[in-house]
Amino acid sequence: MSNTNENHNEKEQVHISGYKEHFSTLMALLLLTMITVAISVFGANLRSLSVFTALLIATVKVIVVAYYFMHLKYDKKIYTWLVLIVAVLFVSFTVLTSIEYHNR
Amino acid sequence: MMEHISGFSLPNSGHNRDAEASKMGMWLFLFTELLLFGGLFIVYMVYRTLNPESFLLASFELDVALGTFNTVVLLVSSMTIAMSITAIQLGDTKKSILLLCTTLLLALVFLVVKYFEWSAKIHHGLFPGLDVYKNLPPGESLFFFLYFFMTGLHALHIIIGGIIIAVVIYRTKKGLVNKDKYTLTENAGLYWHLVDMIWIYLFPLFYLIH
Repeated sequence: MSNTNENHNEKEQVHISGYKEHFSTLMALLLLTMITVAISVFGANLRSLSVFTALLIATVKVIVVAYYFMHLKYDKKIYTWLVLIVAVLFVSFTVLTSIEYHNR
Repeated sequence: MMEHISGFSLPNSGHNRDAEASKMGMWLFLFTELLLFGGLFIVYMVYRTLNPESFLLASFELDVALGTFNTVVLLVSSMTIAMSITAIQLGDTKKSILLLCTTLLLALVFLVVKYFEWSAKIHHGLFPGLDVYKNLPPGESLFFFLYFFMTGLHALHIIIGGIIIAVVIYRTKKGLVNKDKYTLTENAGLYWHLVDMIWIYLFPLFYLIH
């Protein structure tokens, strides 16, 4: 009785990400890395890679890692919400503080 | 009377597993890690704002090629550990172990490269306390202090992650981690991805922003 219950719980629609999907995710991440490095190295004398651009590309990469590798896409939505709450809190604090500093 | 009792089973009879709760616990731990590194990033941000020129000059001392190489190593290792979860879910224990071993190997490669980078900097006297470091303009020595502290703490996380992966390999070999019970692999994966994410921010902030 308890055994069937357990099995039922375990097999509750587990999503399995495919190998191909993981490989595509890696390719996207490598492409984004190449873009950041290229902007930085080939435009070094222009000081082209601003803090903003670098952080923007890094954030896109982190979102890709969280969404696909960390399985947020297929997990319960509570995890995505928690991540968003922490991220919004952190980013709003740093950005608002930064704006406050520059507008003194 | 007896019939009544026979249909009854204790709801909690000892060792229960709860994969969902384990995963939630791991995520909550990851949030504390994010805020730990977040605090360090804020310190970096503040001092960079105060010493823009020194940070710029000091950042040219770092080797972009080695940093890029290590970024690629970590990204590939993130894929291999994600694939090892796919493998164990499909019941392919051998493939899962092979992919975990690959991840562990890549972690070692990362540390070896980091070792050479650090040695070169120490050789040039740029480590906090050494002669060259002491005579640097204040902003530049701050950059190197933050570089050593933040990449050092990150490297410590790589070492811990490597140990966790080794434990997962051992337990998978013993059959304790299997097709129906792979929470440990998943949580090791989550931790490893976090370590990767932190590097995704460290790399441009220290090596690339010129």
